[in-house]
Amino acid sequence: MTFEATRPAPPPGATEAEYQYHSYKVYPSGARNVVEFDNTYKSFGRNQILRGLTMGLPEGMVSMILGPSGTGKSVCIKHMVGLLYPDSGDVRVQGKSVPNMPDDELFEMRKKFGLLFQDGALFSSMNLYDNVAFPLRQHTEKSEEEIESVVMRRLTEVGLGGSREKFPNELSGGMRKRAGFARALVLEPDILLFDEPDSGLDPVRTALLGELILEIHREMVEEARADGRPYLPTFAVVTHDIMSARRVADYINVLWRGRIVEAGPAQEMLNSDNPFIRQFLSGESDGPLSMD
Amino acid sequence: MGDLLAVPRGWLESFGDIVKFTSRIVADVASLRVFKYFGETLRQAGILIVSSTLVIWGLVFIIGLQCGIEGAYFDQSTGTPAYAGVFAAWCDLRELVPLCFGYMMAAKVGTGIVAEIGSMRISDEIDALEVMGISGVTFLCATRLLGSMLVLPFVYLCSIGAGFFASYLAVVQQIGDVSSGGYFLIFWQFQNPPDVLFSLIKAMAMAVVIVLVGCYYGYNASGGPVGVGTATAKSMVFNIVSVHLIGMLGTQLFWGTNPRAPIGG
Repeated sequence: MTFEATRPAPPPGATEAEYQYHSYKVYPSGARNVVEFDNTYKSFGRNQILRGLTMGLPEGMVSMILGPSGTGKSVCIKHMVGLLYPDSGDVRVQGKSVPNMPDDELFEMRKKFGLLFQDGALFSSMNLYDNVAFPLRQHTEKSEEEIESVVMRRLTEVGLGGSREKFPNELSGGMRKRAGFARALVLEPDILLFDEPDSGLDPVRTALLGELILEIHREMVEEARADGRPYLPTFAVVTHDIMSARRVADYINVLWRGRIVEAGPAQEMLNSDNPFIRQFLSGESDGPLSMD
Repeated sequence: MGDLLAVPRGWLESFGDIVKFTSRIVADVASLRVFKYFGETLRQAGILIVSSTLVIWGLVFIIGLQCGIEGAYFDQSTGTPAYAGVFAAWCDLRELVPLCFGYMMAAKVGTGIVAEIGSMRISDEIDALEVMGISGVTFLCATRLLGSMLVLPFVYLCSIGAGFFASYLAVVQQIGDVSSGGYFLIFWQFQNPPDVLFSLIKAMAMAVVIVLVGCYYGYNASGGPVGVGTATAKSMVFNIVSVHLIGMLGTQLFWGTNPRAPIGG
């Protein structure tokens, strides 16, 4: 069964032909959405990025936001955590509107998120250990012994247990990403976002990182179920790497020209007959997507 | 005509942005919200002490020497060498120590703040802070302002001491036209305790503006490393102009109607 919304009009200034491959089909995931974009528009000057985006991230799944470069994937992430606000439309996290939150509530809401930036965004003035310990020191009353136990567990999980004294400038790009991953995990967030975790990594390390994401997601979901938490951990990975999507995704949103082309569970999307989705997921040069 | 007005309009808009942004920083300090990150405040204060005090004192010491030497030789040429202390009392305390303090604050501390916060901005470190639920303005800017306010009054009072000591060395020990007692008689006659307070207020006004402007340009840097460089240069220009304006206004306000020498006319 497919939920197909009434076909919306193309965004202002665009033609129907530009959006002819946007079927707007959303295959059901079987879970409620913890993050929802509702007809969201965002422009930077004359550059329109989000052009009526309606999209959801289902709870307890690893979702992928796939799309060509420059199509607004990273902008989506910044909207989820309130680093950017939409020009119009709404973004809701666990049912609450992010643009309408007062500052104090916004800062509280952000504690539910972990975000892995493209280059890790580690604090260059701190060593690896202090970087990962930083959120715990700021937001919890844990003792230094407890903090050390959590930090070393996370650093070991990402394979950096022996590099705790190193500074970010002494680490490779892949190590910085893994360290950023460890830092994003320490507060055990409800929603973990990955902004192009595979960029700049070789294929083997990309595959290993994908496995790590899956493994940690599985562990966190089990822990959340055991603890009876109100929301199961949800991961969202922004990428344009098809292999990562095939290996890691439970659910896929395909974004192009500021709107969702189609969205649904990975298997449905991989078997989609939409020409754009087929071209993008197979990485072929022939199809609707060109260099323009 | 429209093009001619565009430039001053742009300046006004930038000034408005600076005032709006820096008001948030001041509000974070005034509302004591910054004390949530008192550890970071102390760290910033420590960095200021370790990395900037000696440079500031060094510059002020050199200016104190110059002021003393020029004053001594000028008084020698007019046949009043015993009055060399006037230059040290007025030139050091009222003008050159605050100005040199402001120059070095702008060059060392202000640009350092722009470069550090600007680099954090372009490498997503500020976004990372915000996503952790920590206000970047409070954690990065308000802590620096409070750290400066904790440390700089003492640094400045010591700077005055360095300037006075240097002038004494130049006039009494190096040139030697006046005895130590004679020098201090005139030196203390030409200043009152409130003058030190006025000088301190001038310098602290400069320091607060420099730190706030540095935070503004760093926090709002964009356009990669080149953008950080441009922001640093802009902050330097803004701060040097501000230092002179504060110096001039402070002198007029505090000493303009002084009955001994009504420099305000």
